[in-house]
Amino acid sequence: MEGKEYTDIYGNKITLQQQSYNDTCQDFTITSSKMSLRSLTTWTCSVWIVAYAVFYYTQHSAVLTAAILFSIVGLLLYLHLVKVDHESLLILGSLGIQTTSTYASGRENTVFIEMCRVQDVVINEGISMHRVNYYLCLLLKDPRNPQAGVSQVIPIFQSSQPRLDCLTEIYRSCQEILSSQRSKATS
Amino acid sequence: MVHSRREGSGTCSHRNSVRTPETAHAPLRTHSICMVSDFFYPNMGGVESHIYQLSQCLIERGHKVIIVTHAYRDRKGIRYLTNGLKVYYLPLQVMYNQSTATTLLHSLPLLRYIFVRERVSVVHSHSSFSAMAHDALFHAKTLGLHTVFTDHSLFGFADVSSVLTNKLLTVSLCDTNHIICVSYTSKENTVLRAALDPQIVSVIPNAVDPTDFTPDLQKEKTNKITIVVVSRLVYRKGVDLLGGIIHELCQKYPELHFLIGGEGPKRIILEEVRERYQLHDRVRLLGALEHHQVRDVLVEGEIFLNTSLTEAFCMAIVEAASCGLQVVTTRVGGIPEVLPDNFIILCEPSVRSLCTGLEKAIHQLRAGTLPNPETIHNTVKTFYTWRNVAERTERVYDRVSKETVLPMNERLERLVNHCGGVTGLIFALFVIISFLFLVFLRWTTPDYLIDVAVDASGPNAAWPQHNCRKKPRKKLTMKK
Repeated sequence: MEGKEYTDIYGNKITLQQQSYNDTCQDFTITSSKMSLRSLTTWTCSVWIVAYAVFYYTQHSAVLTAAILFSIVGLLLYLHLVKVDHESLLILGSLGIQTTSTYASGRENTVFIEMCRVQDVVINEGISMHRVNYYLCLLLKDPRNPQAGVSQVIPIFQSSQPRLDCLTEIYRSCQEILSSQRSKATS
Repeated sequence: MVHSRREGSGTCSHRNSVRTPETAHAPLRTHSICMVSDFFYPNMGGVESHIYQLSQCLIERGHKVIIVTHAYRDRKGIRYLTNGLKVYYLPLQVMYNQSTATTLLHSLPLLRYIFVRERVSVVHSHSSFSAMAHDALFHAKTLGLHTVFTDHSLFGFADVSSVLTNKLLTVSLCDTNHIICVSYTSKENTVLRAALDPQIVSVIPNAVDPTDFTPDLQKEKTNKITIVVVSRLVYRKGVDLLGGIIHELCQKYPELHFLIGGEGPKRIILEEVRERYQLHDRVRLLGALEHHQVRDVLVEGEIFLNTSLTEAFCMAIVEAASCGLQVVTTRVGGIPEVLPDNFIILCEPSVRSLCTGLEKAIHQLRAGTLPNPETIHNTVKTFYTWRNVAERTERVYDRVSKETVLPMNERLERLVNHCGGVTGLIFALFVIISFLFLVFLRWTTPDYLIDVAVDASGPNAAWPQHNCRKKPRKKLTMKK
């Protein structure tokens, strides 16, 4: 399936794949750009240059061993804990919403929210560090007390951070499903 | 991340006020205005309401307005007020008296991001006490945007803190496009303090909402005469004078009562006077008042007394006159400009002079020669309206947008020539550093990577406009 190309807020390329199973079931997957060889080389080289500089002064070979361990463990941890390969949002009109983030090491992190807890899907603005960004988020309500309003806000696509054009695309499709679901519930 | 929330703010107070014919025409071009000040709601005060009311009227005239201020405890992020007025509560450190700390550099990334995403064309800063306002002016000039500054207060020249503030003001205003003051006295003061060319300083007074301050027509006539005082009880407001007046007049006129609203460190003086002369039944201290209570307090009296020692533009006396009270006030600062002579009794700031003024008012009241409260109200309500203020401010924007922003070399030259050798050079250095910082920021986050914000107000507003009156006017602006 062909994906559409967008950029994230840092200007890196991301791909949005939209898969429609039927009217009330859709799957959105945003694939971030792969780790580039250039950044990997830059990081390894800088670690090694520092290691050699220290080695030159101390003449202690343990420094080089430490550098090897540091770069290998660092890379593993980065791939396992930080680098997200793709994030997906599966919305099933009658059942609920599932968000999955898959890390570069293959580890998956899945959250499922039943439909009765979902109040709405919105695009929101927030200030983070020195930026003001748009982000997509789920508004949750307490099913035992639906009149109380929004009880929790869950931001989606937090690691891929797509820009507004991509978010609007996803938002529109989500709203279509949610509104058809609501009209079914009332009729 | 901080999430924003829609918020229904109560009063859109100009809604019911009269429309004067000159405000009916459409603006020739619309601006995208960013109001910056450390002082905004939920903080209460004159500057806050000025910014809010002015923004609302500018939105009504078809401009896009956003407000930038710092976070107030849990109120942070982006919020919307009535008619799509967007407010950014930025997470900046508050240092002293609700004013943020300034380094002239640290707020550049965030403010630049906002100016770019909102496509701001005019940056309008408020209040000389606000560090954020000065920071924003500084950054806006670095970014090449047009700048306007409104000064809301009067300053001295003598003490150390004034000398320092005045120096900073000189630096901040020397390359600002236009400055707005609230009265001619304030203009004189600002021009002297900041060594400005008077031609770039305009006077636009504050306004009151006349529908909030109406006289009480059902009031019964009694023998009792009540003098109302509503002000913060601080030294600047002349509370010490008030203590002397209460004692002297209460001895002379047994039917006289005082009603005092407001809170502050000088309250103790009034309590002392009340205690010493056994005036508990005749002097009532109400403590701090909410804005909506002020009118009800004002209409209880017949005479309004203002004892301020310094005042750029006294809102309180306009509010009182709008409620139909006879105003007795000190002749300080911009007060003599505010109301015509037949509504106001001006006195020197001394107990003797103020007592004479009050006695004159009491005699007029007894003789029945005072004008009818309703006639006073009807005259005063035409003097100061927010629509008029917005229209005049708009003219300033029109003028400013035709001017050119000083390029880098001229700005440096102006700083060095205008602000003295040492200060000028130091700030010229800051200008260069901030310029280099901006180049760095443009390299890490280029402008094209910043999403353009969805407009909530202005010609392309996405916000639902409930006011049907606005629609034809907006079409007109778009055609032009």
